[in-house]
Amino acid sequence: MKIGITTTVPVEVIYAAGHIPVDLNNVFVSHPERERLIEEAELAGFPRSFCAWVKGIYGAAREMDDLGAVVAVTQGDCSNTHGLMETLQSEGMEVIPFAYPYERDYVLLRAQVEAFMRRLAVDWHEVEDTLRRLDRVRRRAHRLDELTWKEGLVTGLENHLVLVGCSDMEGDPDAYGRKLEDLLARVGERERDPGFPRAGDMVRLGYLGVPPMAPELYDYLETLGARVVYNEVQRQFSLPFRTADLVEKYRRYSYPYSIFYRLRDIRREARRRRLDGLIHYVQSFCFRQVEDIILRRSLSLPMLTLELDRSSRLDARTRMRLENFVSMLRREKHG
Amino acid sequence: MDARCGVDLGSRFVKIAVEVDGDRRFLGPFDTAEFYRKHIEAGKDGGALRKKDFGLGEEVRVGATGYGRARLGGGAVMFPELEAIAAGVAAMTGIREAVILDVGGQDSKALLVRDGRLADFEANDRCAASAGKFLENMSRVLGMDWEELGRYREDPVELSSTCAVYGETELVGLLGEGWPVERLAAGVNRAILGRLLPLLARFPRRTLVLTGGVARNRALRAMLADRLGVEPVVPEPPDFVAAVGCCRLLLEEV
Ligand code: SF4
Repeated sequence: MKIGITTTVPVEVIYAAGHIPVDLNNVFVSHPERERLIEEAELAGFPRSFCAWVKGIYGAAREMDDLGAVVAVTQGDCSNTHGLMETLQSEGMEVIPFAYPYERDYVLLRAQVEAFMRRLAVDWHEVEDTLRRLDRVRRRAHRLDELTWKEGLVTGLENHLVLVGCSDMEGDPDAYGRKLEDLLARVGERERDPGFPRAGDMVRLGYLGVPPMAPELYDYLETLGARVVYNEVQRQFSLPFRTADLVEKYRRYSYPYSIFYRLRDIRREARRRRLDGLIHYVQSFCFRQVEDIILRRSLSLPMLTLELDRSSRLDARTRMRLENFVSMLRREKHG
Repeated sequence: MDARCGVDLGSRFVKIAVEVDGDRRFLGPFDTAEFYRKHIEAGKDGGALRKKDFGLGEEVRVGATGYGRARLGGGAVMFPELEAIAAGVAAMTGIREAVILDVGGQDSKALLVRDGRLADFEANDRCAASAGKFLENMSRVLGMDWEELGRYREDPVELSSTCAVYGETELVGLLGEGWPVERLAAGVNRAILGRLLPLLARFPRRTLVLTGGVARNRALRAMLADRLGVEPVVPEPPDFVAAVGCCRLLLEEV
């Protein structure tokens, strides 16, 4: 059966149980009629002043007729998703709860994983086998991420797509692994192609926050001569941690925990990836907008805060801001 | 002869500054839609400005900025809007270290300028109906022109919304309750102030320059001075700053 997820959860458990995880964010954002999905949520009563991701996920979940259950992250996600889950539940959807303990306590997290495993009737043996299998795919994603910032051979959009795809591996880890393998081969060819713009010659940006409502952002930045070489949260979806312990892996995963823990990752990567500036993306009506205060207080790199609501297109004002930001960073970089 | 022309293609109005041998002239504001129809002719790389409409010879170089500038080709040099504003302030006032608050028809932003150049900016406001649009709607409800609206700041009636749409409904309601228009006008100005202050919060207190059409609102200027303890400098005319900035930036283009 297909099990919907709204953020990264231990998909090893789902795959080990013979089910297929479906990241509903990805279903929504790549849907040809995404505006209609949002409208359907609004017809059902979701307010206009409500996170468009949640509305889109609702629309996507309602449209899939083969969705058997959804995983509700009851701690470590947001209360908007909470409301979404209860709405789906009231409409007859089976809901499987999962919680990330805020304190990142190993024992508590292990208990959560085990409850999840009991619910789907799998044992540690099967889950660990699956972990090894998925980690082989993830390693390719990590290699592509490295090629993004070290060699500058992967675009910001490719990086984003590869990493967000890791949340559910598109329902088929082997096929997803092959897809990444193909991309690795293509990227290898770019090495000999002097026409491919290298990140080294561009303004190097970090992208913080939840994935953008308009992935068009990445290509627009490239036209301005800037490349995103660090996608903070998306990279987290690929669990880039060297540990064979599943619980530890999801304990190091930063997104569901405190912003202060996320900051450690951001600082380290910003230095390592030699970033010139940061874009902090905030979703309209999302509580994470307030995290902007802490990020600005804590990070010394120039930062542009970008807010989008529901449109998949960048409006003129957003473009104006991006353009001015990039142009300012370029001058700082090259004088 | 040195002849340059800066065009600021705003969302609502087009402003043009022309500099010929050190002499500066201002043309406009023109209605943007009308401007497109009348003064831009199709060319191979986008539309070209019909220079002769403005008495300009073909040798005059054109620099452009603003939301609509993508429409302009024909050899025009494009400049990012905020850089144009910073350069315009430097050209019109000589001020090279400042915080500039630009309140335009479509949005508002604060710019930190060091050595005449943009060093940082804040433009984190999603609402498409900016301060300018809000003031426009509100003055219509109050039956005042801009000049008059800008006179009132005493005893403001508190408005709960700076949304151009909700604000209108609210204001009509308050008129119905019998509040004096002067106090309502002061309330409108106070509401704009509340919306602009967060843009400035992050920047150091230093020379404040106010640009964009809304800079003409004297009540707002006085309220800003009260709150920030500095009298804002207003270049004349404040809505032509970006156009002048384009002229200035053309000097650096070879
Ligand atoms: S963008 Fe914010 S409000 Fe929307 S689902 Fe994500 S965390 Fe929740």
